Order: sequence, then structure tokens, then C-alpha cells
Amino acid sequence: MTRQAPLLAAAMLLAGRSVFGLVWVDDRLNVTARYGVLADFVEIGEPITDSIPPLIGIEADILELKHSGGALLELPAVSIVSSQGAAPKLNFTALWSEEEQCILVLISRAGSQSNIEVELSRQIRARLIAEAEVTHKSKALTKANAELARANQDLEEFASIISHDLKGPMRALRFIAEDLVQLDSVMSQPDVLGQLENIRAQSQRMSEMLTSLLEYSSAGRKDEMREEVDSTVLIAAIIRATPRPVGIDVRTTGVWPAFETLRAPLDLVLRNLYENAIKHHDRQTGLIRLGCEDLGDSLRFEIEDDGAGIEPRHHAAIFLPFRRLEAAATGNGQGMGLAFVKRWVEAAGGRIGVRSEAPVTRGTVIWFDWPKTGR
Amino acid sequence: MTARKVMLLGEIGVGKSSTVQRLVFDKFDFNYKPTIGVDVYRYDLPEVAGRERQSLIVWDTDGNFGEAIFRHVYMKEASAAMIVGDLSRPQTLDTMVKLAEGFAGALPGRHISLLLNKIDLVSAPGAVELPEDFARLRIAPVMTSAKTGQNVQDCFVRAANDINRRGQ
Repeated sequence: MTRQAPLLAAAMLLAGRSVFGLVWVDDRLNVTARYGVLADFVEIGEPITDSIPPLIGIEADILELKHSGGALLELPAVSIVSSQGAAPKLNFTALWSEEEQCILVLISRAGSQSNIEVELSRQIRARLIAEAEVTHKSKALTKANAELARANQDLEEFASIISHDLKGPMRALRFIAEDLVQLDSVMSQPDVLGQLENIRAQSQRMSEMLTSLLEYSSAGRKDEMREEVDSTVLIAAIIRATPRPVGIDVRTTGVWPAFETLRAPLDLVLRNLYENAIKHHDRQTGLIRLGCEDLGDSLRFEIEDDGAGIEPRHHAAIFLPFRRLEAAATGNGQGMGLAFVKRWVEAAGGRIGVRSEAPVTRGTVIWFDWPKTGR
Repeated sequence: MTARKVMLLGEIGVGKSSTVQRLVFDKFDFNYKPTIGVDVYRYDLPEVAGRERQSLIVWDTDGNFGEAIFRHVYMKEASAAMIVGDLSRPQTLDTMVKLAEGFAGALPGRHISLLLNKIDLVSAPGAVELPEDFARLRIAPVMTSAKTGQNVQDCFVRAANDINRRGQ
């Protein structure tokens, strides 16, 4: 047995263990020989690019190695995929061999990844994709919000224009009806008089509806400063300024504190609800209670009357615009009041509701929670 | 037989590997396996009478390379770039523009295709808003689906024809 040189023995060992493979290539890039398990797939006698397609495109660079003074041409971490699946990742290194006067291509294993590393890589990528999705959706949401804000502004402007432009003709119609009512020829005809009075009343009603519509569309959008409001003083002023029938009593219950809030919206809400309670009372005598209770983060206000009450089946509808229950349809008001109030309460971060068990029992309580801190 | 090198570029997860596997093996794998480094496929083009057999060597690249791919040896002497975006993830379409311009800068005069992939996931593909910068590329994008195979082979065949025309 011939004792082989240690270096050669080591090279043979590594070649046999798939650590590397060698391919000898002539000056037309045809394979003349190969060695090592990793080079087993290379066909001898064929162009090297047939067996190693990643070398296509750099043939000229490989041939140029002869004159490169020992330079290497490296193609790292490439996997050649066939119908059998992906081969392990391999490094291809081409160099010129002066001793053998030919090109050598060294094939070696690229760093492999364990299953855990592959799974980690997959999860990292999934997270990156999800993050990109979130970013994109955030941008879309921002854009949608901007469009919504523009649409709201357009609607507010539209409502303002409509109410302003329509009120003029409505007013004119009312004045014409009022003038006609004064004519002797008309006053002697009760049926004509009645119709004209009807026209006047309806045009008055439409004018007030337009005013309420404008107020409703702008509710909750005003920029206002929070300030210290003494709710005792506020409710007293509302009671004082609001006419009521002689037989209707009003009293306040609970503690009405001073706190920092938006004065005008709170004033509007309390005033509207108090006026409603008076307006829709079905008797000449009665009691209206205005209550306040501290709930910690908010104040619970209640406006209670002993009127006819509201049947539970109507409780949701009363807060919708232009909805007035039949029993109250003959009164003043255009049906915007509670919708208006609801919008203001919710704009302040509060909520509103009603308690009434008509016709089983009389009475209605409209309550709303008003946050003590800013929204 | 002549062979030409074609680079498959695009963000992670847009369907590059699925596209080339549909092209070469006519199959679709529902399990997402990220491409690490580069996988190389050989696609033999359909025979055309009177013309030498041709094949495309498709380099399916790791989406993480980004624009750094243009400085890599992998890019050397590529005849074409097939740039893939995911129609269901519009932000990947912005990256397509950068990659197209990067390739054109690195290898001027070579063919570029824009593949808007995953058309099967989008209910109204025609309504997807393309980035404004697409217009300056002056390349008509093609809607593809690696899942159904829609337009995949056509894109590569057209790319091969254009490579021949350009003499690349």
C-alpha cells in the first residue's frame, strides 16, 4: 500500500465527505474532469454552464481569469432548483490554475440553515409583511378621515346655504299671506282666511325648521374654550329666562357644582330639555324637576316632568331628527330639539337616555351624563 | 440551445418563487417558504419553428436584498428583470418602481417586465390605484396570478422575445 501525502489524503477525505468538489474546465468552458461528491452532478464533456446554469452570463469573466493574476470569481449561496427540489446552497469559485493551465471551479457548501432558522426567518418576514399592511391601512384611514372631514364641511356649508337661501322666500311667503289676511275681500271669506292662515303657519314652521337644521349641522363642531361654570347659577338663569305656564312649578334637586366645562353646549342642552318639558306638558298644572348627581367622572343631569309620558316603543325615535310623536305634533318645535341635544351631549363625550312607562304611569325623565373632564 | 439570465425581483412575499415555480413546474405551493439568498431555475421556452431552442435561467432572489441586489455579483450580465408586486399589498407596487429604476441604471437597455401578481386575491383588479411613478417607467404592467397561472408564461415568453430583439 502506497502511503499518500497527508495533504492529498485530507483533500480526498473532504471531497468524499461532500465538503467540496472540483471541476476542471478547458478554454471553451467544457468540463474535462471532476472530483468529489459535490461535483457528481456535473457532466464531463459538456459545457459547464449546462450543469451549473448560474454561471451563464459570466462566461467571459471566467475565461478572463487566465490573465487576472490569480483573481477569484465567486458566486456564493446559490441553490439550483430542479423538479426533484432545491439542491443545497452551494458556493462556486472559479480560478485559473497555472500548474494545470486550465480553469478550476471549486464547489463548496454555503452556510446551511436549520429548521429553526428557516422558521424564524419565515416569522420575521410575516411580521414585516403585517407591519407594512398596518402602515398602509393607517395611511388609508388617515386619507379616509380627511375625506370625511371635507365631506362634513361640505355638508355644513350646504346646510347653511340652503337654510339661508330658503328662509328668504319662506319669509316672503309668510308676509304675503299676512298681507292678504288684512284685505277686506279676504276677511269676508272665512274659508279663504283659513287657508291663508294655514299658509302663514306652515311657512313659519318651515323657516324655523331651517333654522334648527342649520344649528343641528353645526352642533358639536365649534371651537370653544373650557371654562369654570357654576351649574347652580346656570340652571337658575335658564329657569328665569324661560316662560312657563303659571300652574307649572319647577324645582331643582341634588348638588349643582361648579366645574370646568364648555358653557354654551351645556347651556343649550339644559335649556332645550327644560323648554321641551314645559312645551310638551299636557296639563295646565304640573311639576318639572331638574336634578344633578355627581357620578365621579361625570355629572348625571335629569329633567323630569309629570306630563303624559312617552311610550317605551318611541324611546329610540325621539332622538332622531324631525321625529315628533303624534300627541305633541300640535305644539311648537320642529322635532329637531332632542336630536340637537343628543348630538351636543355626545360631542362632549356624554350619553343621553329617557325613562318613561306611559301609558302605565305618567311622567318622563330625560337624563344625560356630562363628563367633568375634557374629551 | 441559447440561455439567457433573467432576474426575478420584488419585495418579500409578493410571489416571486410562486411565479417561477408556476412557470417551470406548473405547480403552486400554498405553504409560504421564504427564499434565502437565491434559487436558480432553468425554463425551456416553447419551441418555435425555425428558431434555435432557448432557455431562460431565472434567478429567484431573496426579497430582503432590496436595491442592494444591483451591487451583487448575482446581477452580472442579466438580460432582463421581471419585477413582481403584490396587487393586494399596494405598498409593494411602490418598491417595483425603485427596483425598475435600479435595474435600468445598473444594466441600461435591458428588458424589464412589471408583474402585478395575486390578481386572484383582488375583487376589482382594475380599480387598484397604481403609484403615480409607474407612468414614468413607460412599461405596461401585466396582471398575473401564480396561483391560477394567468399570464405567467406569456410574460416570460414576451420577455424572451424582447431579449432576442435587443440582441441581449
